[in-house]
Amino acid sequence: MSSIIEINNLNKSFGDVQAVKDLSFQVREGELFAFLGVNGAGKSTTINIMCGQLKKDNGSVIIDGRDLDKNLISIKRELGVVFQNSVLDSALSVYDNLQSRAALYGILGLEFKNRLSQLAVLLGFEDLLKRTIGKLSGGQRRRIDVARALFHRPKILILDEPTTGLDPQTRRILWDVISDLRKKENMTVFLTTHYMEEATDADFVVILDNGKIAAEGTPLELKNKYTGDYITIYGVSEDKVKKLGYEYEHIRDAFRLSVPDTKSATGLIVNNPELFNDYEITKGKMDDVFLAVTGKKLVGGTEK
Amino acid sequence: MKVFLILVKRNIKLFFKDKGMFFTSLVTPGILLILYATFLGKIYRDSFLSSLPAEFTLSDKIIDGLVGGQLMSSILAVSCVTVAFCSNFLMVQDKVNGTIKDLRMSPVKQSELSFSYYTATFVSTLIICLAATAICLIYIAFAGWYLSTADVILLLLDVFLLVLFGTALSSIINMFLSTQGQLSAVGTIISAGYGFICGAYMPVYTFSEGLRRIIMFLPGTYGTSLIRNHSIGGVLEEIQSQGVNTEIINSIKDSLDCNLYFFENKVDISSMYVILTVCIVVLIIAYILVNSLRNRVQEV
Repeated sequence: MSSIIEINNLNKSFGDVQAVKDLSFQVREGELFAFLGVNGAGKSTTINIMCGQLKKDNGSVIIDGRDLDKNLISIKRELGVVFQNSVLDSALSVYDNLQSRAALYGILGLEFKNRLSQLAVLLGFEDLLKRTIGKLSGGQRRRIDVARALFHRPKILILDEPTTGLDPQTRRILWDVISDLRKKENMTVFLTTHYMEEATDADFVVILDNGKIAAEGTPLELKNKYTGDYITIYGVSEDKVKKLGYEYEHIRDAFRLSVPDTKSATGLIVNNPELFNDYEITKGKMDDVFLAVTGKKLVGGTEK
Repeated sequence: MKVFLILVKRNIKLFFKDKGMFFTSLVTPGILLILYATFLGKIYRDSFLSSLPAEFTLSDKIIDGLVGGQLMSSILAVSCVTVAFCSNFLMVQDKVNGTIKDLRMSPVKQSELSFSYYTATFVSTLIICLAATAICLIYIAFAGWYLSTADVILLLLDVFLLVLFGTALSSIINMFLSTQGQLSAVGTIISAGYGFICGAYMPVYTFSEGLRRIIMFLPGTYGTSLIRNHSIGGVLEEIQSQGVNTEIINSIKDSLDCNLYFFENKVDISSMYVILTVCIVVLIIAYILVNSLRNRVQEV
């Protein structure tokens, strides 16, 4: 897979505050790329630079093989953005909103109507077309936001915390549609999210902290590097668990041990077979990775 | 071109569908109507009658036609500017609620976006002001009609020019606004203040000399005077034809701002048109220049 986004040595300051510090990363075509960081880490600044909304101080941004400095207009055609908050016109109907936004990409007349029907079926808003945006529920509005971003068939879909505040069912629908489009149209998805389980499905993750990359890799690599494994043992007494010498926690009918890695878990099981009649081994979660990377949590008894 | 037209359509629709913006734009003409109904009408009438020779009597139709014309000119002069400001607030609201980010994300040119706001404001304001003109003319027809066809055509031209002026002025000022607070502040200042400084509530003639001289530097004053001349010119001709001498007619014209004096020099009608037109052109050029400068700064 070739890189569809290449960012090299990107810097951006606002007065004395350096929001992005020598940032470099690549996003491969067709992948789900998760861009994580707390508020103020530099995510939005980077996205705004990529979309041509902000001027960078220095560095280079190459999107779809084109330099942002020289091809901004053509690059904009390849980008679809779902903003954190809906930016559609709340006083206008769904139809009017999508018509005005599609026109910005030269999608008019019959072409507009055909694409509208496609997206309405895909995102299930056929019965909302005449409704005013301001009168839609949060989930319904989000579906229209996604439709707006997808209208011109972008190669890259940027999702800026797209599911914040949505109910689980709507989140599921949105992710199903986006996953489907990724597979069928090889669309690249650039995601920022506060829901770490969404980042778990990513092909590649970059964690930003204070404008710099704090960690990057696939979710598995990050989990292996920054978190341990967990062994949940059922039907044993606390005395026996304590003797194993690992940090543990009592969870209802079981004990959950933190071990450094899968190899240690295997050793523990092999050496104490009488304890491991009913158990499960799980990897650390992306929440654990994130907190470990940003230096705010003790994992496996060691401060990372 | 189609993209531009759809953007203009979007902006116009938003203005008419956003009840807040739409009704705010009608506040100043509304205030004027209330003032007229409560006391301004009487003041206009008394002031006019006191300027006539004691032995001279006029029919109610003439007096009503004159007072109605004065009211019409005040409403139109104010509306052309305040409605334009409120309509153009869409530009600021798009910044406040983040919509402008969505629009700028697209490959559409910034200049096209800016021009779409300008055109939409012009069209929305013109629709409202032409509707107001029609309503006022119907009122005048009942109160006392002394307008010639030329007066009506020139009145429409005045409205057209003043709407262009209001649109250009509001475009430049609104371009620098980016928060709800700034928007409210400017809205309040324009709604409350413009009626006074353009001589719509009370003629500029009644102001102190110093203030009058300052106001003569404001191009909106000449727009008001043009509309007033074409609203009541016919009535004044009728009064003159009934035997009132030119001197008295001139003093009435002075007191109603039909005659304007720039440092003691009388500004004739054609000069008023020139001043207004030049001002519109200068404002439009300034809008284009400031826009392109800001775009260059924003561009990557």
